[in-house]
Amino acid sequence: MALSRRNGRPRATLAFLVLLSVTAITLDFRSDGGGLIETARGLASDVFSPVRDAAARALEPVGDGLQGITGYGSLEDEADALRAELAEREGDRARYQRLLAENAELRSLNRLSDELAGFRPVTARVVSAPVSNFEQTVELDRGADDGVQVDDPVLTGAGLVGRVVQTSGRRSVVRLINDGSSSVGVRFADSQEVGTADGEGVGRNLAVSFVDLRARIAVGEYVLTAGQDFGSTIYPPGIPVGRVVTAERLDGELDQRVTIEPLAELSGLNYVRVLTVPR
Amino acid sequence: MSPWVARVPPVLVLAVVLHTAVFPQLRVFDTAADVLVVLAVAAAVAAGPARGAIVGCLCGFLADCFLQTPFGLSALVLAPVAYGVGVFQTRIHHVVRWLPVVAAAAAAGTAVIAYAIVGAMLGEDHLISSRLFVVVPVVAVVGGMLSPVAVRIMRWALDVDPRGPVVLR
Repeated sequence: MALSRRNGRPRATLAFLVLLSVTAITLDFRSDGGGLIETARGLASDVFSPVRDAAARALEPVGDGLQGITGYGSLEDEADALRAELAEREGDRARYQRLLAENAELRSLNRLSDELAGFRPVTARVVSAPVSNFEQTVELDRGADDGVQVDDPVLTGAGLVGRVVQTSGRRSVVRLINDGSSSVGVRFADSQEVGTADGEGVGRNLAVSFVDLRARIAVGEYVLTAGQDFGSTIYPPGIPVGRVVTAERLDGELDQRVTIEPLAELSGLNYVRVLTVPR
Repeated sequence: MSPWVARVPPVLVLAVVLHTAVFPQLRVFDTAADVLVVLAVAAAVAAGPARGAIVGCLCGFLADCFLQTPFGLSALVLAPVAYGVGVFQTRIHHVVRWLPVVAAAAAAGTAVIAYAIVGAMLGEDHLISSRLFVVVPVVAVVGGMLSPVAVRIMRWALDVDPRGPVVLR
């Protein structure tokens, strides 16, 4: 039976729906990360996960092809830059090995504990690209059943990726460090200055704020997480975050404008490590 | 029982799968199509403002299940946008071939902008950025391209007489 073209009282329907939406928003704010809404989100994630996994695997070549077509020029430039960087890293590796040995010896002498010793790393596979055009989040195939909890740091071999913001039984959602709402307390490796690295969105470097005007920040300087000594209780200290791209002092500004390029390849994540706290 | 009670849920489930699993893999300029917005607008084109608003609200809640922004934000945006499209469509008194496509594209772009503005008012300041200049056109164009198919699907799902205000040829 065909519906009539004009349903009765459409304005009342709209008013009711707006009220319902506002109520849901209010409940979400009041639940502060828990409650029925988070349960619903976790349930939705678990229910749809098998289909999403299958679709993601099937469409990955198509997606790569599309990205290749629209971003061919930048891909070529990126390949050249990566080759040059790889050559440089080979030299760094030799120096790094020597420093590792020295560091271990000094720690044992001073009986300092490894900042990461209290964590149990869980390897996870990235199963979903960002769903929203505004959020930089990815979904992992590990969840609460594997010991993953909200606020667990996530990293790759290269450096920090982000932190867990939502978990369900079999899945977890990670907010990447380049997400607009992400902030990481950081320390510059050479100058030991501290600041806050804020995400600026997909394809953009991180902006570091609260860097003292008198600090001498060098382009290429490595940046690591600052950890508890900067008030952050999420990321342990010493995890590589990025490398300085620009450091500017502008007239009238109270701090330096510093941008850093993330060390981890955030747009092509496959496997990551979640630092979980053993229960 | 009305046919749409049985037809609409599977259509919504399919839309969620497309929205969360298929289209995020098919990005243009790092931007994915917003299938749930297209579905909400298509419901309004097919069945008028009230039904469009209801489908828009449902699509919004489903979208919010997979986002970290406040739950209900997408519903708060999609319901009025779909309602507005439905009101616009019911005031068309002559057959215009391309109008539903243009309306869908404009509504999809408007929904993205409204989402960023309302989200910023709720404390999600990062939603408003220069990235909107890329996201809005891509979502609008792809939304317009998908709208003819989406409108046909929603006409079937909502069991609407195809001789609506605007006829798709």
